[in-house]
Amino acid sequence: MVTLFSVGRALRGALVWIILAALAVVVLYPLVWMFLNGFKTNAELFGNPFALPTHFGWENFAAAWQQGVGSFVLTSVSLTVLATLITEAISAWAAYGLTRIQIPMNRAFTVLILAGLMLAPTVALVPLVKMFQSLGLYNTFLGLLILYTAFRIPFTVFLIRAYMLDLPREVDEAASIDGASKTATFWRIILPMSKPIIITTIVLNVLTNWNEYLFAMVFTSGTGLQTLPVGLADLMSKNGTQYPLVFAGMVMAALPMVILFFVCQRYFIRGLAGGVGK
Amino acid sequence: MRKTKMISVSAAVAAAALLLTGCTSSSNSAVSADVAGKPDYSGSISILTAFAGKPMDPYFQNLIAAYKAEHPGVSINLSQETDDNAVKDKEKVLIASQSLPDIYFSYAGNWGQNFAENGLAADLSSAIAPSTSWGQTFGAGALNAFKYDGKYYGVPLYNDAKFMGYNKAIFQKLGLAVPSSFDALISDCSAIKAAGYTPIAFGNKDGWPGLHYLQQLFAYNVPRATIDADLIPKTATWTDPGYITAMKQFTELVTKCTGDGSNSNGVTYTTAQQQQQSGKAAMYYQELIEFDSVNTDGSQLNKDGLGIFPLPAPANAAGDAKTLEAAPEGYMINSKSKNAALALDFMKFATSTKNASVLSSPPYGQPSAVIGAVTTSTSSAAVAAGSDAVNKAPSTLVWLDTASVPSVGDAWVSASEGLVSGDLTPDAALKAVQAASEKAK
Amino acid sequence: MTSAPASVRHVAESAPPVRTRPDARSVPHWRNVVWLIPALAVLAVFVYWPLLQNLVFSFLKWNIYSGAQTFVGGQNYMELATDPIFRKALLNNVWYAAISIVFQVFGALLLAAIIESVKSERLRKAFRSIYFIPSAISLTVAGLLFYFIYQPQTGMLDTFLTNLGLGQYAQAWLGHENTAIFAIVAMSQWQGFGYSVLLFSVALQRIPLELYEAAAIDGIGPIRRFLSISMPLVREMTSLMMIVTISGAFQVFNEVMVMTSGGPNNSSQVLGTWLYHAGFITNDFGYAAAIGVAIFVITLILAALQLWVSHRKRVEW
Repeated sequence: MVTLFSVGRALRGALVWIILAALAVVVLYPLVWMFLNGFKTNAELFGNPFALPTHFGWENFAAAWQQGVGSFVLTSVSLTVLATLITEAISAWAAYGLTRIQIPMNRAFTVLILAGLMLAPTVALVPLVKMFQSLGLYNTFLGLLILYTAFRIPFTVFLIRAYMLDLPREVDEAASIDGASKTATFWRIILPMSKPIIITTIVLNVLTNWNEYLFAMVFTSGTGLQTLPVGLADLMSKNGTQYPLVFAGMVMAALPMVILFFVCQRYFIRGLAGGVGK
Repeated sequence: MRKTKMISVSAAVAAAALLLTGCTSSSNSAVSADVAGKPDYSGSISILTAFAGKPMDPYFQNLIAAYKAEHPGVSINLSQETDDNAVKDKEKVLIASQSLPDIYFSYAGNWGQNFAENGLAADLSSAIAPSTSWGQTFGAGALNAFKYDGKYYGVPLYNDAKFMGYNKAIFQKLGLAVPSSFDALISDCSAIKAAGYTPIAFGNKDGWPGLHYLQQLFAYNVPRATIDADLIPKTATWTDPGYITAMKQFTELVTKCTGDGSNSNGVTYTTAQQQQQSGKAAMYYQELIEFDSVNTDGSQLNKDGLGIFPLPAPANAAGDAKTLEAAPEGYMINSKSKNAALALDFMKFATSTKNASVLSSPPYGQPSAVIGAVTTSTSSAAVAAGSDAVNKAPSTLVWLDTASVPSVGDAWVSASEGLVSGDLTPDAALKAVQAASEKAK
Repeated sequence: MTSAPASVRHVAESAPPVRTRPDARSVPHWRNVVWLIPALAVLAVFVYWPLLQNLVFSFLKWNIYSGAQTFVGGQNYMELATDPIFRKALLNNVWYAAISIVFQVFGALLLAAIIESVKSERLRKAFRSIYFIPSAISLTVAGLLFYFIYQPQTGMLDTFLTNLGLGQYAQAWLGHENTAIFAIVAMSQWQGFGYSVLLFSVALQRIPLELYEAAAIDGIGPIRRFLSISMPLVREMTSLMMIVTISGAFQVFNEVMVMTSGGPNNSSQVLGTWLYHAGFITNDFGYAAAIGVAIFVITLILAALQLWVSHRKRVEW
């Protein structure tokens, strides 16, 4: 009985390892392949796709950088960071207003803001094209920024509001008795207490904005203002016969986020650990 | 209850307001830009070209630099896309947001017609009609490709046509002559395959490469009058049996001659170019404007030698065996341009004999529509031969995806994909096109 | 729910006793609406107004070249009802949602639990980080990467299959109508699962070990421990991931556009790409707007369903 039990356990242990290791290979192999391809020449890539590159020169990376990968990354980073921060601010204010302060017609306002929760941005595409063109926001950084900010608000408010609803009321009352204004209560008490959900929503919004393609494609028609997804697709079409260059561009595009993740890992996880899922 | 009523009333008001604004913001007045005026050499213009990527990228950049050297006060904003779905997508977005630049690229056929008919292109007849001095520098066919409703709307920049480019060394090694009929081409394929080469490189991910085969085969198999009628939704029937024959010939070619066969939808045309350039494929059905970009110095293809021949017509074809699938590509001037005269002046500069020769020579190899610009001394052998064939062709037929209205063109793109993968039979494909054409009536 | 963090409890406990003087904050006041104004303003102008406009546009025929608009009543909707590609697109989105739920919600939860069973803390972190990398690279990069992987003959997948002796299965995964959308969905799972695993790991870690130990002592096996302890206690996270996954599945655009543009022969169209196609390729903005309205209705129903379901279940412990 005991031996059967321990064999079963050992088998389970081995199975766990096999699954985890196999998945790690499935994840890493294409990434490593992509990375190595940036060093190959076109002939090498087509001739022997899975061999190691013969030399590790940086020409492809330099060429891709020259074609604007740097500016794509910069545009995407600034757009993502700004849009996410503004969304967080606006959403946190709104969530605070809906949950910790008494406002008339609370329910109506809640519905009004959350109604956009599952709204697919594609639905608004056609009218926005017309609107932006007449407002002069077409092909501008500001235009994209506004869109990225706006469409994440309902979802972010939804999450922050749910979290704030659960925070104890005594905190607000204690603060008001101490003479703190609503604003001060928000910035010094409620917001810090909401850190876990703020981090969760920041992570969600950063990932969404970083990958956004439709609006970027339609609303930025000139170079110099291309975000990463659009710029990379463009790079692909402009260098159809120079695949290693495209791969080099892809690697350079992927790196910032990966590095960011590893650097901020502990901070993210600790933040998330206090949050949703309690 | 009160709240919901209030909401529904305001919504109705809003909707009504929108409808009104929507209605009034409609059609443009037929204001045509003043192209005949004097160019303002201190103004600024914007240009959208289809010359992005290598090797075309520098052409307009150099052109602009040279123009600015002559007119220092001018400022020119250049935007470039690649001459495939990229430039088509970009233009659609610009059209939708009504922000087309002063000078923009256009295909001939229905593509250009949409600009002309809807007041987006300036009428250039006064400057470029065949009777004018500038107009006389162009080949008549090129000018007529941009003639709509009796007026001339486009500046043709270069001619384009579809040819089968072949690797001379491979053909010589296998003792093959240029095939004179479609069946000869198909039988050559098995010999080439046996020798270990890909007979015809083909990548149909974008859909239009297959379309180009279809259009040329239609020209061979269907009477021209029928095709012309079918390309216009009002008179279209798409019932000629020649279409089915042509589609069957296309699928036969895909099955017997291409390296990826029914998998070709997963391959881009650039991969096919790659195969030709590296000498792995014996043939590649390509546009005249692609020749020099694949036939680069030092490439295997260059060492082996690039030859061309038009897609061989099937024997006893019901259409015209002498029609070549060809169309010029050119530029239009935005009718709302504030500096139309300057834009026109720039285009005159771009089509000067000197610039036309540069355009026709390697590395660009885009045979200019300007008469005399393409010679065996200015252009590569393949380009010169192709350009000559276009000029001598008794009749030409525009690409299928720009010849008819977008929804029909799009239906053909889908049809070509379905035919390649084997998921559509020729009958089903034709039915789908008929349906799209019906809707577009 | 766990009680509030220690810092807050401290504040609450050390505060002076609450007096009964009416608190200004307890009286509803219009002035307080100021907190909502930025959100409302932005949403009204850039989200709701376009939504309303889209509804209006769906009743028009709109020439994008001339800008001319003509009222055509319900014609676009009639076309929508009989459009086989719209139905295919909708079906593709449903597949997307279904497959994503399997892998990125339940699969990820299971995987997170499996990772938790590894003894070494460093290895656990290592695995989680590795699995997260695809989520960190841009979706476009992943799309392009997989485009190369799915290439016929020379792509990574077909080469593997051939080397394993399964060459008869090698094909152009993106080039055939019955495989294209699933190839894209597969890429999406590769890209997204690591992110879900991370979130679920965090949720699992908050479950006190004593619960598991108690269960183990009672002789409950690991699988039943997972089903009876882990799953119920991460219900909030599961609910959140379901919402994120489903709404993501119906808003898919990037991956499909980059890998196939909806082809071949419109077999991999999803609602988003079909809208784009209708508007920008066949120049029919009115029809595109009708598709937009359809998307809105569908996502609204799904949102309502999900909110209702998630409100009903809340686990106290």
